[in-house]
This record gives sequence, structure tokens and C-alpha cells, in this order.
Amino acid sequence: MTEEVILRVKDLRTYFKTDEGTVKAVDGVSFDLHKGETLGIVGESGSGKSVTNLSIINMIPSPPGKIVGGEVLFMDADLLAMPANKIREIRGNKISMIFQDPMTSLNPFLRISTQMTETIILHQGLGKDEAKAKAIEMLKLAGIPAPEKRIDQYPHQFSGGMRQRVMIAMSLSCNPEILIADEPTSALDVTIQAQILDLMKDLTARLGTAVILITHSLGVVAGMCDTLCVMYAGRVVERGATDAVFADPKHPYTQGLIKSVPRLDVASGNRLSSIRGQPPNVIDLPDCCPFYPRCDKAMDICKRKYPAVSRFDDGRSVACWLYSEEKLP
Amino acid sequence: MTKFIIRRLLSLIPTMFVIVTLSFFLIRFAPGGPFSAEKKVPAQVLQNLMKKYHMDESLGRQYLRYFGEILRGDLGPSFRYKDMTVNALIKQSMPNSMLLGTLSLALAVALGIAVGIVSALKQNKWQDYTAMSLAVVGISVPLFVIGPLLQLVFAMQLKWLPTSGWITDRAGLKTLIMPVITLSFPYFAYIARMSRASILEVLRSDYVRTARAKGLKESTVIGKHVLKGALLPIVSYLGPAFSGIITGSIVVETIFLVPGVGKIFVQSALNRDYTLIMGEVIVYSLILIVMNFVVDIVYGFLDPRIAYK
Amino acid sequence: MSTNIGQAVNEFNQQVAAVSLWADAWRRLRKNRMALLGLWVVGAFAIITLAAPILPIYDYTSQEMTHINLPPSLKSAGSIAIQKVEKRIVELKGLVDGGREDLRPEMDKIRAELESVKADVAKNPKSSKVYLLGTDYLGRDMLARTIYGGRISMMVGIIGTITAVLIGIIIGAIAGYAGGRLDNFLMRIVDIIYGLPYMLIVIILMAMFHKDGASSIVILFVAIALVSWLTIARVVRGQIISLKNAEFIEAARSMGAGTGRIIFRHLIPNTLGVIIIFATLSLPSFIMSESFLSFLGLGVSAPAASWGTLVSEGVQGMELYPWRLLVPALAMTIFLFAMNFLGDGLRVALDPQSKNRT
Repeated sequence: MTEEVILRVKDLRTYFKTDEGTVKAVDGVSFDLHKGETLGIVGESGSGKSVTNLSIINMIPSPPGKIVGGEVLFMDADLLAMPANKIREIRGNKISMIFQDPMTSLNPFLRISTQMTETIILHQGLGKDEAKAKAIEMLKLAGIPAPEKRIDQYPHQFSGGMRQRVMIAMSLSCNPEILIADEPTSALDVTIQAQILDLMKDLTARLGTAVILITHSLGVVAGMCDTLCVMYAGRVVERGATDAVFADPKHPYTQGLIKSVPRLDVASGNRLSSIRGQPPNVIDLPDCCPFYPRCDKAMDICKRKYPAVSRFDDGRSVACWLYSEEKLP
Repeated sequence: MTKFIIRRLLSLIPTMFVIVTLSFFLIRFAPGGPFSAEKKVPAQVLQNLMKKYHMDESLGRQYLRYFGEILRGDLGPSFRYKDMTVNALIKQSMPNSMLLGTLSLALAVALGIAVGIVSALKQNKWQDYTAMSLAVVGISVPLFVIGPLLQLVFAMQLKWLPTSGWITDRAGLKTLIMPVITLSFPYFAYIARMSRASILEVLRSDYVRTARAKGLKESTVIGKHVLKGALLPIVSYLGPAFSGIITGSIVVETIFLVPGVGKIFVQSALNRDYTLIMGEVIVYSLILIVMNFVVDIVYGFLDPRIAYK
Repeated sequence: MSTNIGQAVNEFNQQVAAVSLWADAWRRLRKNRMALLGLWVVGAFAIITLAAPILPIYDYTSQEMTHINLPPSLKSAGSIAIQKVEKRIVELKGLVDGGREDLRPEMDKIRAELESVKADVAKNPKSSKVYLLGTDYLGRDMLARTIYGGRISMMVGIIGTITAVLIGIIIGAIAGYAGGRLDNFLMRIVDIIYGLPYMLIVIILMAMFHKDGASSIVILFVAIALVSWLTIARVVRGQIISLKNAEFIEAARSMGAGTGRIIFRHLIPNTLGVIIIFATLSLPSFIMSESFLSFLGLGVSAPAASWGTLVSEGVQGMELYPWRLLVPALAMTIFLFAMNFLGDGLRVALDPQSKNRT
């Protein structure tokens, strides 16, 4: 991990104002992304994964959302403090995104060619024909057969997997530094999922693109990611190298998650374990560890204060009172 | 594509057939003939009249005769306006109604879309509140209240505009202003509300998020990605809007004394001028049906998801 | 300390309590201030029109030729008449004092007239009538006429809506549930009737039959009901088709529920939301249609009157007697406004898809 850090997220906070109260969807998230690294963000639905990533490129729908604090440093410039026209030069160009549902993420009224070339023309200053050639090349790379013909079609003429390939081709067409993939395979068939993940891995490795992969599937993370952030109720509870985290999960939540994955290499006959209870409602959370009601190792202090982050020698950081050096009151 | 158009065209025939048949029998079964108002017509004269209009024949023969004439484009003589054919009466008044209707629809669409866009982009700001309040007025207040109120304020009190009349009068084009505003108001209101709602919906859609994530300017996002999808529902609303405008024009023409088909329509209905009523219904229906047909085809061209098979 | 935890502060570990569709809808409707206001206004209109026979208002048909075209006022008709004469005297007196001696006999004549008017007013009990909203060209009380006009208009709206909903539900449910050829046939009919210029046909029907007096209102109902069920039939059919294959119907069928039971106990209650929304939005449109016909002179016939008739009468002479137009127009507009706000509110409240929208 000596490589250059290209994205540093520091204490990011994004809140949503609703009728019921303030939803602290992201509440103090920090992580670094190195050049060419693949970072996985794992968590249950509602844990703030997607909001984190929309916040990074400052695309939180406002109102009701608002980024209330923190910094996102991309090549030493704070994306959150950038004027709108500057950050637009970065979106789709240096940092691009793929979304969950390929069926709705492409504009049904415009041809694939229009949707692909507009990005290339905008960010790379190519002419129309050059941009189209580039788009065809990208589609070919993404494994679309007969791209010269397919490029003039509309999204509804593609299957779900094919559309996600188009999305990948589109998002990589400007050779971005970072690709943010928000559950890129959750809406696809299992057989297609593997193909799409392989494609992403292959293409980003070839182009040297760093990836932030948002997912709720630990299996996907294990196969794809160098490092891993586990999120719970809007915060990162554990962060570290994927192998290390899988080998020795520190946070009780991470432990629970890993135990709940079915494994072939463990003697059968054991019941698959699950984490009891429901994820908390993040409206007006009190100052406490939000995981304590579901935690087997909960202590009295967990109910009163959110734990500080403890760091380990292997670069791991965990937010749990079990590892805190702070004096227990 | 051509196959679809042809099939769609063929499906218009039964509708037209039903309209002609229905209105023919409806009118023949109505109590009170066209000549019942003319008191004490000598029996001989009445017989001659009946003979002249073929009303002494059996109903079936009358129907066949009428149908044949319609196919030749002849709507027959008017019962009431003795020396006029229905064709001539409609020919005289139709251009006026068409002018009024087309202008109103154009105004409603243009203003409605513009106001809808502004409202959606300024959601929950004063522009939005103003526009949507106006739209609620347009939807809630009937034409026949708006028209007289406009007359009361702008013609009688302020004396800016002529109370009634048509462009052939001395006041000229000024006579168009109030009828067009009155007639377009409810449709303007509907279109404004519709386009606002549908733009807001598209703005929330995933593909607009994708467009923003590509770094496109907000104006490009709106112009290129939002509007096309958002305004498609407006196209499909044009059919019903047009039919509403035709009915509405009956009242508006009555209020502002426009020499159009609508005004004749009410008179002929009260006079039981059978052939004239039928002629008008047939012409109106034909316009409506053709309009709906055109809207369907245009919609198909605009929405790439519709495949003609 | 520990009592604080697990409750009150947050819904930790607790399932959000299940809220029924109706409770949820009501909660959302209550938050919508305009819809609530609409509900109140509609309620007030309903109560006033229902209670019209026992309200202390004048008969809406009784004509008072001495009281024609009186403006809205809190004073009695008699004192308005006296005031009018007194005003004229003051005017004349000013002129006479200014040197117009020739007008003196005129002034004296009117002074004498004042006496006779006063005597008349004192003698005639009808002079004590107070017309809050003025009178029309036959000296009828506008307040009473507007209330009774509303009665007819609202009745048309309600009956029209009920017939439309009933026919629509039956046809739509049959078409949707049966599917196949029957569905095709019914929908073809709906398509053809849709193609008809609805208002024109109603106008023809009304024109042919409206002279028969009392039956005209029946014809009106028939004419409106004939064509009004189409939309609801389509909506119900669509809903039923999409629900037909839903798991819970499957479950009901597997437990041996018959077709009728499935339609009436499962499918229709599930489409009720859509039907309610449609009904509230179509009620004002029926009222508009009726008023539209009445405005053209093709609606209800005298002495009964709807809001449309009143507006139509008010248009004649609106320059001199604007209240004759404004009173019924305003009453009608307020009601339609309220209905539309209520309908919009209900649509937002009952549409489950709007649940999570901002």
C-alpha cells in the first residue's frame, strides 16, 4: 500500500431532513483509495453505502439531502468545495459511476450511440465520428457482439446483462481514475453476475482504474477487492485488507457477516448462522454503538458512547469498544 | 410500420359506422319531427315536404339512402334553412371553428409546456406556486364562467376588447383574444400540471442520475435527457384535449357569438334540424377520429420502445 | 439509564408497526392542508344543500315582481326601496338649491311618492324580506336559488358518479377476470364508444327530449351515465388483470374460494383506492357537464335550476346586475375547487407508490 492515494474521504457526513427527523445516512465516514486499488464497501441496505458514493461526486439530491461535513480530496482538491462547473469536468471523466439497475439507468429514448458519444465529446473534445469510433471500440472491449450495428439501437433492444456491459463501456470510455460501481450486479441473473464482475475486473486492471465497489455480497468482495470497508448505520465499523479481514474479522458485526456466508470448505451439518434483529432506524440515533442491541459482546459502555477507532498493526481500523484503549468510565 | 398504419386506419371504419348509424336512428326515434314547430301546415304541404326529404319511405330505405349519400360526401339538404345544404352550412362555419380551435390548442400546448417546465425546475418556489394556483383555477372554473367574467372585466368595465364578434367585424383580430384565452385555459391548465408532474418524475429517474454522473451540464440534462421522455404523455393527451376543445368551442362560440359550427350545432339541436345535426356530428367525429389516429402514429414515431409488428 | 434504552429514544430493534393502507392514507391526507380544507368545504356544501328545506331561506321559485334585480344587502327589501327614493330626493334637492327651480315640482312629486312607498312598505309584509345575495330578474332570492341549484348540480354529480362506478366496476371486473374473447368483445365496445364525440351525443339526446319538462333530468342522467363508465371500466380491468396473477389471489383460489368471492372479496377491495380517486375526480366533471348543458339551455328545465342555469341567466344583464352572475359562479367555483383539492389529496394519499416520494 505504498501507492499514491488518489481519493481521500475524511469524516464525511450526509444528512437527510425528513418529516420524521434527521436521517444521518452517512455519519463520519473516512477512507483512502489508492491508485489502481479495488475497494469494497459492504453493508446491509440502508447502511449508507450508496449515499457515501453519491456524496463523493456531490450528487446528493438536495433537498432533502445535504452534505453537512467532511472532505473528499481527489488529487488534493476538495470535491465538496468545488464549484458546479469544475466538478462536472470530473464527473464521468475522472470519476465515473455505474448504477444498480441497468434496465433503468440508460435513457430509453436515446440511442446507445448518442448516450455514449456525448460523454466522449464532452470530456475528450473528440469530433462526432471519432467519438463514435471510440464508443464502438469500448463496446467491443466490453464484449458486445457486432458493436457497429448495436450502437445505433435503443436500450430496450438489449438484455439486462448487455445493458450493464454498455454502462461499463460508457463509464470507462474517458479512462477515468476511479470507477464507482453501485451494486452493479444485484439486479442481474447469477450467471450473468460473474461475467460482469470478470469484465469489470479485467477492464479496470487493464486501464489501471481504481474501483469502489458497493455491494451487500461478501462473496463479490472476496473475489474482487484489495481492501474492504464494512459499513453499519452510516459509519465504517471495520476497514482493512480483504484477506486480513476475512481471516480475522475484529468487529462483531463483521464476524457475524462472515459467519453468515455459506461455505463449502467447512464441515456440513452446521446451521448457517445469522445476525439476530433488524438494522436500526438511523433517524435521530443517540450517541451509542448502533450495533449493540444485536451484539453478543455488548457492554454497558456500548449503550452510552460511540467507540473511537482503534488501529492495528496490519493497517486495520475497527470502531468497537472491545479494542478501545480509551479508559472505560 | 405501414402495416400498422393500415390496420389502425381500418379500425376507424367500425367506429365511423357506429356513429352514423347511432345518430341516424337516435334522431329518427326522437319525439317531434322537424316540421312539428310550423303550426298547422296543410296536410298536402306536409306530405309534399315529407316526400321532398324522402321521409315517406321506410326507415331502412332512408337509412340506406343516407348512407349512400354520405359515402359520396353529400350530407343532404338542411331541414330548417330551406335553401342551404348541410355541406354549405358546414363549409361556411367550419373554418371559423377550426381557426378558434387550432389557435386555442396551440396556445394551450405552448404555454402549458413552458409553464410546466418552469414549475418543475422551480419546484416549491414562488414560480411553481403561482403557476400551479393558476392551473387549479383553470381546471376548476368552467369555461362558461371564465368567458362571461372576461367579458365583464375586459370588455364592459375596462373597454379594452370588444365584447363579442368575429375577425370579420370592425374590431378585427382583437375579437379573437378572449375566445382563444377562454377556450385554451382549461387545457393549458391540464398540460401545465401534466408536464410538471411528468418532468418531476423523470428528474427522479435513474437515467437522469446517469446523465448527471456523466458530468453533463444541467441544461443539457434537461434539454436532452429529461424533456423527451417527460413530454411524451402530452402527445397522447392531445387527442382528448382536441375533443374537449371541440365541445368547449360550442359554449365559447355561443358566449362570444362566433359564427362557427358550435353555434349552429346548438341551434340545429334545438330546431331538430336532423340532417344538419347528423352532418355536424359526422364531421366532428371524423375530425376527432383522424386526430386520435394522427396522435397515435406520432406517438409511435417519438417513442422508440413502441415496435410496430 | 437502561430504561432509557430500547424505547423512546429510537426504534431500535423494533419493527415499524404495520399500518393499514387506509390508516396510512388518512394520516397522509390529514397532513395535506389544502385537501383537508377541500374536505371541509365539500362537507359544508353537502350539509347546506341537504338541509335546504329546513333552512330559514325563502322559496326558490316564488317571484316578487316588486323586488326584481335587488343587489346583495343586509337590509330589508322595503328599506332598500325607501333608501332609493330618499337618495333621489337628496340629489334633486341639491340641484334645486343650486338654482334649478324647474325641478322643484319633480322633487315635491317624489316626496309624495316617498310617503306612499313608506306606507306600502309598512303595509306589505313581504317588504321585510332580506335578500342577502340579491334577487334575479323575476325577484327570486339568489341565496335560495343558489342553494337549490347546488342541490341539483350535486345530485347530478353524485348519481352520475355512482352509475359510472357501478357499471364500470361490473364491466371492467368481468372483462378483466374472464379475459379471452369476452374481454376482447367488451373492450372493443368500450373503444368504439370512446371514439364517439360524447358531449355531442349528450347534446343531441338532451335536445330531442328536453322539452318534456320533468323527465329532462332523467334523460340527463341516462345520457351522462351512458358514456361515463368507460374510463372506470378500463381502469378496473387493468387493475384486475394485474392483480389476477398476484400471489394472494393464487392463495385464495388454492383454498377453494369461488370466482365471485375472489372478485368481490379480494379483487375489488384492492382496486378500491383507484376507484375512490376516480370518483372524487369525476364528480366535478359531471357537475361541469351538467352545467355546460344547462348553460346552453339543454339541461334541467324551469322552475328547477342548476348552477349552470343560474350562470346562464346571470350572463344576461351581467353588466347592470353582476351579482346575478357572480353569486352562482362563485358558489360553483368554490365547490369545484374544493372537490379538486380533495381529489388530488386523495390521489396522493391512496397511491401507495407515492409513499416514499417527497
